[in-house]
Amino acid sequence: MDLGTVELTPEQEAFRQEVRAFLDEIVTEEVHEHERRTGDGFHVGVHLALGSRGWLFPEWPVADGGAGLDRVCQRVLALELARRHVPMVTHSTTGLVWAAVELSADPELAARLKPEVAAGRVRFCLGYSDPEGGSDIAGATLRAVRDGDEWVLNGSKLWTTGAHNCQYTFLITRTDPEAPKHKGLTMFLVPLDSPGVEIQAIHTYGGERTNAVYYTDVHVSDTHRMGDVNAGWATLQGPLSAEHGAGRPDDGLSDVGMAMGTREFEAAIDAAARWAKHTTRPDGTLVADDPAFLDRLGALVVEAEASRVTPGPMGRVKSSLSYIAGIAELVDLVGPEALLAHGADGAIEGGVLDYAHRFAQGTATYGGTTEVFKGMIAQHVLGLPRLNLPGSKQWVR
Amino acid sequence: MERFELRRQDFRLDDDQQAVREGFGDFFTKQVPSSLVRDAQPLGFDADLWQRVVAMGATSMGLPEEAGGDGATLVDLVLVAEELGRVVAPVPLVSHVVASRLLARAGGAGELLAAAAEGERVVTLALQPGVGGNRQLVPDAAVARDVLAWSAEGLTLHTLPEPAAHVPNQGSTPLAWFDPAAGERTVLAAGPGAEALFRTAVAEWKLLTGAALVGIAESALQLGVEFAKSRRTLGVAIGALQGVAFPLADVVSEISGARNLVRKAAWYAEHEPATRPDLPLVAFVHAARAATEAAWVSAHTQGGLGFTVEADISLFFLRAKGWSVLGGDPGADRRHIAAALLAAV
Repeated sequence: MDLGTVELTPEQEAFRQEVRAFLDEIVTEEVHEHERRTGDGFHVGVHLALGSRGWLFPEWPVADGGAGLDRVCQRVLALELARRHVPMVTHSTTGLVWAAVELSADPELAARLKPEVAAGRVRFCLGYSDPEGGSDIAGATLRAVRDGDEWVLNGSKLWTTGAHNCQYTFLITRTDPEAPKHKGLTMFLVPLDSPGVEIQAIHTYGGERTNAVYYTDVHVSDTHRMGDVNAGWATLQGPLSAEHGAGRPDDGLSDVGMAMGTREFEAAIDAAARWAKHTTRPDGTLVADDPAFLDRLGALVVEAEASRVTPGPMGRVKSSLSYIAGIAELVDLVGPEALLAHGADGAIEGGVLDYAHRFAQGTATYGGTTEVFKGMIAQHVLGLPRLNLPGSKQWVR
Repeated sequence: MERFELRRQDFRLDDDQQAVREGFGDFFTKQVPSSLVRDAQPLGFDADLWQRVVAMGATSMGLPEEAGGDGATLVDLVLVAEELGRVVAPVPLVSHVVASRLLARAGGAGELLAAAAEGERVVTLALQPGVGGNRQLVPDAAVARDVLAWSAEGLTLHTLPEPAAHVPNQGSTPLAWFDPAAGERTVLAAGPGAEALFRTAVAEWKLLTGAALVGIAESALQLGVEFAKSRRTLGVAIGALQGVAFPLADVVSEISGARNLVRKAAWYAEHEPATRPDLPLVAFVHAARAATEAAWVSAHTQGGLGFTVEADISLFFLRAKGWSVLGGDPGADRRHIAAALLAAV
């Protein structure tokens, strides 16, 4: 075991100072204001600035547009980005899709895209969920029909977060409706400026923007097919397993679990703790002196601590569900002040609790719902039998 | 509190730690069948097993070398305690190890410490600070003549002619009433330094008990999972049904988090005790809840059978609460945890 602080070499320390100075410069109040207003999870100026340093894919060699950083420096960068709440959703989907592009795309296309992706000029989003499919992405109904050297797409996708800021979507399509569910799928990297693509905004009360994307007779070149025809499920697994936390080096420089929202939960807990220290209730008592407040706050600290160290997919479930239950409790503890919006008279630390309470709900859905993960835990951790339902193996329309 | 500190998150056990875990895991699994646990009821103490535990070095390993120990770390000790909990071994090891370590730190009573290291005399600790001479229930005091207690006088060793009378209790532990006026009293240390020693010992007791509760929870879970795999209804194993499977999935998530939290708290207590003094309490609160949940979920998975005395889940259900409750109300710990946060932010 080693939970100790990492001693930095002089070079690593210099790198940390460089990162801090650069981020102080580019992550301005305007960036945060933009995020509050748009919910994009993306800021083009910051993204391009990071790309210019090779810090979007910092582990890549400099020659490939990365920064050739060692693992410690990668962690330094990641922590500094997290500390500043840099909007990273589109960066993260781009990274997931790149893993598949590298594995499955036409080599010429991949070679052409690589420097653009590294520089931040090309970005990817996930075209996974059908409107009626949700987490059952293998049940995709969006049709792709071959037409010479092209394919014609018809259908729609929901939750294509970042589509309006991306150049391509990594799209799962149905190419053989007669084949078993997982055998009739093909993946494409679809240019989002293709005629027939329509992007419509969907706003969440978590403050995020996502999208519905409609495909009407969209023609896409066969060179944009990813992997073999009807082998889409295998093509998809690469980034999906990356999204589920597989394949990280086991050197203690990654988070233990797939904590979802724990940073936001902790920020709200810390803000409530500071609030309690200086807030006197109308009856003249200091909140911090109230044993009932401390008891309930302490329970939330335990939940957040547990969320951080619960490993793997179990941490994904634990963190999200603890956050959702815990933030509701925290709002009760603080009272109406907790839900005052950013900028309102008396809002706590810029409305951090208000935000955290709204944002929490989506964390049970991102990357597959908590129920999907509980099913995986039951099967793969506990070894419980799989429940065979009508749509488990067959494509049920 | 620094939320973005550059620290390793490496929970892998090294070869020595792995050897401790496997060695004690094999030992407890072989030596403690559920029949032995049942036979040791209601006192919750098996003298022969205690001798074998002593022979394994469990009573001395956590002591400094000058006190006849091996200087094992708290990480080693939580690994042992988890394996003990896995079989609900009827031995007073947690209290004894913690009280012996406290004796060694307080100094004095060298003869007793030597006997404790050899397991010849069992030592325990009164977990509540004594005020006004009120009696309190003390874990393992029904098998220990030597009780360490904290009061206004300081840290005091109470040596009784014989252990106090056992009081039957749900967890079948060697619980007894401790009367601070009883026995021969020796003040070992006084003042704020002594109080800090006492608080550290209580935190260690909660940490090791938390580890034992993780072991209890794990065994309870396994009984539920095995039942869910083999019991069938409507043509399928009940474990295929989400209403049965999901609570078990929640339980394994709680347990795996509690295990890492216990190990994290042990690591900090060993290497950086001043950085996060609240962590042993955090680990205890979480482990106690995980064990409670694991025990009832597993019992309910087994339906009416899980409610019978002859089902082994009964042993774990009764001890999940019966052991954790000895640490007092977790609400008090939660207040300490919150106070530590308020001081840090």
